[in-house]
Amino acid sequence: MSTRDLVLAALFAAIIVALGLVPPIMLGFIPVPITAQSLGVMLAGVILGAKRGGLAVLLVLVLVAIGLPVLSGGRGGLATFFLPTAGYLVGWFFAAVVTGYCSEHFVDRSQNGIVQIAGFFLAALLGGVVVDHLMGIAYLAFGTGTGLATAFLGDLAFVPGDVLKAMIAALAGRAVMVGYPLLPQRA
Amino acid sequence: MDIRFEQAEARFEGRTVLHPLTLSLTERRIGVIGLNGSGKTTFARMINGLVLPAAGKVSVGGFDTSKDGDRVRALAGFIFQNPQNQIVLPVLKEDIALGLSTRKLSKTEKQEAVSGILARFGIGRLADRRVHELSGGELQLAALASVLVTRPDVLIMDEPTNQLDLKNRGLVEKTIHGLEENIIVISHDLDLIGGFDRVLCFHEGRLAADGPPGDVIARYREIAA
Amino acid sequence: MKSLHVEGDTFLHRLPAGLKLAGLAAVSLLLFLLHSPLLLAFAAVAGIGLYAMLGLGWRNSWQRLRVILLTIVVVSVFTLVINSPVDAAAVFFRLIALFLFAATITATTSTGDFIAVVTTAAKPLEKTGLITASDIGLAIGLVIRFLPEVLDRYQAIRDAHHARGLKPKPLTLAVPLIILTLRNADEIAAAIDARGIRSQK
Repeated sequence: MSTRDLVLAALFAAIIVALGLVPPIMLGFIPVPITAQSLGVMLAGVILGAKRGGLAVLLVLVLVAIGLPVLSGGRGGLATFFLPTAGYLVGWFFAAVVTGYCSEHFVDRSQNGIVQIAGFFLAALLGGVVVDHLMGIAYLAFGTGTGLATAFLGDLAFVPGDVLKAMIAALAGRAVMVGYPLLPQRA
Repeated sequence: MDIRFEQAEARFEGRTVLHPLTLSLTERRIGVIGLNGSGKTTFARMINGLVLPAAGKVSVGGFDTSKDGDRVRALAGFIFQNPQNQIVLPVLKEDIALGLSTRKLSKTEKQEAVSGILARFGIGRLADRRVHELSGGELQLAALASVLVTRPDVLIMDEPTNQLDLKNRGLVEKTIHGLEENIIVISHDLDLIGGFDRVLCFHEGRLAADGPPGDVIARYREIAA
Repeated sequence: MKSLHVEGDTFLHRLPAGLKLAGLAAVSLLLFLLHSPLLLAFAAVAGIGLYAMLGLGWRNSWQRLRVILLTIVVVSVFTLVINSPVDAAAVFFRLIALFLFAATITATTSTGDFIAVVTTAAKPLEKTGLITASDIGLAIGLVIRFLPEVLDRYQAIRDAHHARGLKPKPLTLAVPLIILTLRNADEIAAAIDARGIRSQK
């Protein structure tokens, strides 16, 4: 891994942490504020690709594990990995990798804007919503013993918000690609 | 210290940014001037091996920058325009010690080297401070300390006073004048390099003038006019 | 960035960090294998006892733990409604025990000690050729170093919105924040390479 890749991952980890520390952002069309940290995870994949995006999220998880309050609401510490929601947290890493991998394959610079946005949206949806929620449900159901039905029902409440974040990630991913392209290009 | 360029050429994205250049640098204090985009930063980065020649050869103390990168970097330190991006760890003394991480030194030797270099630049009191809280002038002195702690033979500085206010600029210039090391300074500040041993002026990717400060600065003024 | 570490010199502070983490892993595995609410309740009481050894006092402890305790209560109530009271009690006590054991270790281990453990644990990763153990220490340092600058930049972008009478939106905040931050990567990487911090060919 080049020094530049290492630095990009570290800077993105700082961005993800920052997104958790700043006040929640209100969206124009729905009255619920969104916490931007899981948006940051999708953005890491969309903007940096699988390897660097995955490392960025891994760094955030390491910071959580070593006791820094870097998650939204000032949460952190090893205890976070034993909460019912730990599956979603660990799932972030896989979400970033899958989002990054799909972005690298779905999107390239020669496509027109709409196709690029659609590609990023699909990538963020697969990684940030499908993969992350499946891991979240699995741990909630089997790890803590709440049962699959309970876990699935509880999970549904967070799906619409995360689909919306995938859309924002897609638009932001395309905007960053135009302004400062970093995504590795695959044939 | 002998720095040699032998028909060294630099290209960036297919464009030649520095045309084949042959010269040898042995003077203790060398200034580099030129308009923006003249190739002077590329020239400086080639000495430290940050930019490798597309053709020809650059060597420092006999080591080829393309083949012996680690050795060259140990001999030639580099100070960037923006000290903000040069200090990479959160606490100042940790960052200074980082430069020594690849050297085989005991913990006490490292600590002594760190406190020694901080004292030399009068910033010993900042050792435990968070880098984020330092002022621009303090950061530039910290950047100097972070590079000089490894005892390079030559120090290359890319517009070291560019981002500083008048007071900090004076402080850093005074420090630069007091350095015992060989220095190569890229600067728009003609007063700073006026007292140097040799000045190079670049224009459109070529060496336009080379010699004592007075003559070269006069040529630079013609180019800029 | 203020860590959740609590200064002190209890017996737990003195234990090696690696041992504490291995212990936590073993205990968590055991707790997931247990299903008896009674045994899990004992574990929870042990967790409370351990956390109490830190001597933080009720008020301080409550402030540190309340957000997470709330999550545990919500999940337990949810389990109670959909599954059974026995399941709910087991879930509740298991999470309380795990949570307090982990929080105690976080409180008694300094960030520096943790980084040392992470670096050691990452040694086998060097074989993959992706990353070296010392890179991880460097990367953690980089995140903590540049976080305050990212926050300052976020504030500046927000202020710029207000100054122009624009409403801050996720997209118009995130895009400039990301581009302005990542643009520094080249120079930071060049500085690291110029200082010879990562040995290269």
